[in-house]
Amino acid sequence: MLRIEDYKAIFAAVGLIGVLLSASPSLGLVLHLPSGEKFSELWILGPSRMAEGYPFNVKAEEGYLVYVGVGNHMGSSVFYVVYVKFRNQDEPLPNVTARTPSPLEPLYEYRIFLENGKSWEAPLTFSFSGVSFFENRSLVGIIKINDVTFHVDKLASWNVNGTGYYYQLFIELWIYNVEVEITQFHNRFVGIWLNMTVSL
Amino acid sequence: MRILFASLLCLFLVLALTTVCMATSEDEVTSKISEANNALREAFKTVLEAEEAGANVSGLVAKLNEAGGFLSEAEMAYRNGDLDKAVSETAKCLTIANGILGDALALKSSALEDAQIMRTHTLLFSFAGAVVSVVGLFLVWVRFKPFYVRKLLKMKPEVASNAKD
Repeated sequence: MLRIEDYKAIFAAVGLIGVLLSASPSLGLVLHLPSGEKFSELWILGPSRMAEGYPFNVKAEEGYLVYVGVGNHMGSSVFYVVYVKFRNQDEPLPNVTARTPSPLEPLYEYRIFLENGKSWEAPLTFSFSGVSFFENRSLVGIIKINDVTFHVDKLASWNVNGTGYYYQLFIELWIYNVEVEITQFHNRFVGIWLNMTVSL
Repeated sequence: MRILFASLLCLFLVLALTTVCMATSEDEVTSKISEANNALREAFKTVLEAEEAGANVSGLVAKLNEAGGFLSEAEMAYRNGDLDKAVSETAKCLTIANGILGDALALKSSALEDAQIMRTHTLLFSFAGAVVSVVGLFLVWVRFKPFYVRKLLKMKPEVASNAKD
């Protein structure tokens, strides 16, 4: 049989546990557990909203469709800006190591506000016009994105390895930093390669 | 000769006036876009504060997206030289952003009040729970102690059968 002092210790321990359990909601107001990893997602899907069937061989006066998506896992609502840019194979992409965006001017843009844990997806249609070919070069005069016309006059040289005139349509993710009150490059980008072909 | 000079002067004045008007118009559009951008950011900041205070901000986030769409349209129209469209889209954005700001402030204040009430309730319930738990255990102990003593007294001493001398 246990001694009275042992029972006393058991009662004290049970009492302490009871007090802690009762106080746990109040402790939750003071103590904050570390949250999980904070990150954002950025994606492009093909016309069937799957990671397949992306447009590649493109030509003038024909419409193409992809879907652009963003996911927020930053722990609170976020203000994102998605810039759509168009480049030839010689023009610079964003530098992920230096965390700098591409210096190219954005064409189309989306301003998105997303709650934590939510995602956003929107169609991005594009077509080309004013396309010409000369001396192993191709020139894209106009790109139309979501029915907005942009004069780009973008030249691409014939790519001997890939045998084509390569352009890239890419999107950059920017985020509004509430603390410093500026929109910054979020170091995420994704794009699709396009091979400009002759319209028959 | 005089007529030619007068015509050239008129042409120069018209060109100068047009340039000044266009520049002013472009400046106005830039300033309006910047104003709308600031209003949208301010609205977002207030919505974020309301969210941190515990408010449900889904409705306001939807409105922010609507305003953001107008601002994007305005920016793109401006880059494409369509100043009229830029101005009209900016005005739409500004109207919504200012509305959001008012709603978010009200929501934040109500969420802060709710949070304060909730905090007070939590503290009261925690304190009451702790007191009930301690008092309950003490009562159990008060009843247990005499029971233990009675049980102890009822016990008979045992004599060891193989005890040595």
